[in-house]
Amino acid sequence: MFRIIKKSLATGVVTGQYPAAKAPSEPVSREAIEKAKPFRRSLTIREVDTGSCNACEMEMNALANPVYDVERFGVHIAASPRHTDALVVTGPVTVNMERALKDAYKQTPDPKLVIALGDCAINCGVFKGSYAVTGPVERHIPVDVRIAGCPPRPAEILAVLGELRKDRPNSDR
Amino acid sequence: MNDGRGAVEQVRGAFARAIMEIGVVHGVPMLRLRTQDVPAVARYVHTDPGLRGSLSLLWVVDHRPREARHELCYLFTLAERKDWLLLSVDLTQGEREFASITPMVHAAKWYEREIRDLFGLIPVGHPDMRRLVRHEHWPKGSHPLNKDFAWDQVLERAQGEYAFRKIHGEGVFEVPVGPIHAGIIEPGHFRFSVAGEPILQLEVRHFWKHRGIEKLFEQQRLTDAVPLAERVSGDTSVGHSLAYCQAVETLLGIAVPPRARYLRSLFLELERLHNHLGDVGAICNDTAYALAHAHCGRLKEQLMQLNDRLTESRFLRGVNTVGGVAMDLSGAQLAHVDAELHTIEQEFGGIEKILFANASLTERLENTGVLSERIAWDHAVMGVVGRASGIDRDLRRDRPFAAYHECQPKVAVYRYGDVRARMRVRLDEVHDSIRLIHALRRQLPMGPVITGPVKTPEPGQWALSAVEGWRGEILYVVMAGEEGRIHRCKVRDPSFVHWPAIQWAALGNIVPDFPLINKSFNLSYAGNDL
Ligand code: SF4
Repeated sequence: MFRIIKKSLATGVVTGQYPAAKAPSEPVSREAIEKAKPFRRSLTIREVDTGSCNACEMEMNALANPVYDVERFGVHIAASPRHTDALVVTGPVTVNMERALKDAYKQTPDPKLVIALGDCAINCGVFKGSYAVTGPVERHIPVDVRIAGCPPRPAEILAVLGELRKDRPNSDR
Repeated sequence: MNDGRGAVEQVRGAFARAIMEIGVVHGVPMLRLRTQDVPAVARYVHTDPGLRGSLSLLWVVDHRPREARHELCYLFTLAERKDWLLLSVDLTQGEREFASITPMVHAAKWYEREIRDLFGLIPVGHPDMRRLVRHEHWPKGSHPLNKDFAWDQVLERAQGEYAFRKIHGEGVFEVPVGPIHAGIIEPGHFRFSVAGEPILQLEVRHFWKHRGIEKLFEQQRLTDAVPLAERVSGDTSVGHSLAYCQAVETLLGIAVPPRARYLRSLFLELERLHNHLGDVGAICNDTAYALAHAHCGRLKEQLMQLNDRLTESRFLRGVNTVGGVAMDLSGAQLAHVDAELHTIEQEFGGIEKILFANASLTERLENTGVLSERIAWDHAVMGVVGRASGIDRDLRRDRPFAAYHECQPKVAVYRYGDVRARMRVRLDEVHDSIRLIHALRRQLPMGPVITGPVKTPEPGQWALSAVEGWRGEILYVVMAGEEGRIHRCKVRDPSFVHWPAIQWAALGNIVPDFPLINKSFNLSYAGNDL
């Protein structure tokens, strides 16, 4: 026990120790911010991987580590699409995952947001054109927010989630 | 390298008439066999006490349009000196059937099902003829890796249902899980048959993420496909791109400069480190020990940020390139790496002490998800999972690549085969990776980090390359096509071998322990599904 306390004291608070995010290549649209309003400061997200390389997932997972600690912003990660406000989709939509994605979308209660995370989800990235890939996410379900990058850094994902929490575009509150 | 000369003589002695030709491809002896003899020879290589070959890879090449034949190649790793031995056989004149070796060599099971799906060749005598990669809604006759299948065609939809193996009996239930899971993980389906809590049977149904990677490679030039290799399995960007680059460099006759070889080893160890740290934390998390998870998560993040500062990619993408590495590290950067790793090593030592003082943690890990040495051997398991089950294999020592001739790893081997052993292997490898990085830095030679190609490969020439990634052995076979293009690229992530094995490790355990067992394997879905 003593050892644990000592370790914790020696470590201190690491939250927030990361380099600032670069400005997103595509700003969050007014409509998306409008759509996110009902969720106010508490946004529950659910991740659906439709064929990514796993790096995008790892960055999503990193959001939960003590350095980024996404929960301090009221962002919560749900275990089921039925409990979520926003679906975060990573990867191009493969032939085998198409149905699962549509099912998950149907199971998500309205109102809902869809966030396409990573170049693959936005435009299929290096997998574009393959027989096994049906297209980007927006071919199958409507997309509200796009976060580009391969993969986007956790800080960049956080910045976009922060935008969504704003009451009015381009204000701090 | 002079692989298995003695073995060739031995097989020739036993099967004089079966062998049509003996050749050597880039140092690997290759026996060309008559079709009907493959099962007998494979069985001999697998079971003979002097050879004890473990099937490392089984792949097919469609040689059209140059030649109308399909070639099957069986790569064995021999037990004694870890030499390679290659068997090959041709199917000509539209022949579609070949004799399955799965009844003799269990590890061939998924490879042969994969071949059936992707090439439409039928493994006669295979005990399980269900589809593997192509899910049931794929139309009949669509075999994407055949040369007459257009890479960008749009597939029709068919109807069908996968027949899971059923267990009948009073009180037996099925628990389906996936493809979409509760956590932030990749899609895959697990079907448990349980009686009460214990698992009677587990069947994994994967390939949800099949993106047609091997076909995509065939659309690229040899020198251009590194970004694709980095995206086979994102967490292993360095491992996969290194394996790809090495194969292409063999084809182009490139001798990579020493400094580049050292830097490649260094980056590979950095990748091993951040993944192992993440895994140790995740294993603790699945026993609900959040404290260790938080500490490991923060150390992993520290490494990812270090990666980002060094290479502008948290996953070390863009480092490997054909001919060497795309970026050099300055003296100041190297000193920075040293310093960071020094603190990580110290911190990690402290966390380890906390871990092993916690009986409720170790109790959960011991005897959970045991993979016996025998089952591991039968499945040709290697890497972290293999070393935790007594399989003493590590390519960094057995077939040194990059700078591992000069900086040798200490190979950690445990025998219990449970979650604890897999965690132990990772803990030991964390320390060893840090030691290796320090050593690599000290011995780092000066000089250029990249060179150009020496020759252009003839169409049909191919090369094999193997890298010990953090999960295990990553194998690439690259065959050159016309005008510097890729004719065929076979990718094998260790996960493809380990998924069938996890079905055995789960037996007899309770369902709530499966996430823990799964974490201790931590296999890639993307690298498996391709
Ligand atoms: S965008 Fe990049 S990192 Fe994300 S899934 Fe696609 S290839 Fe992987």
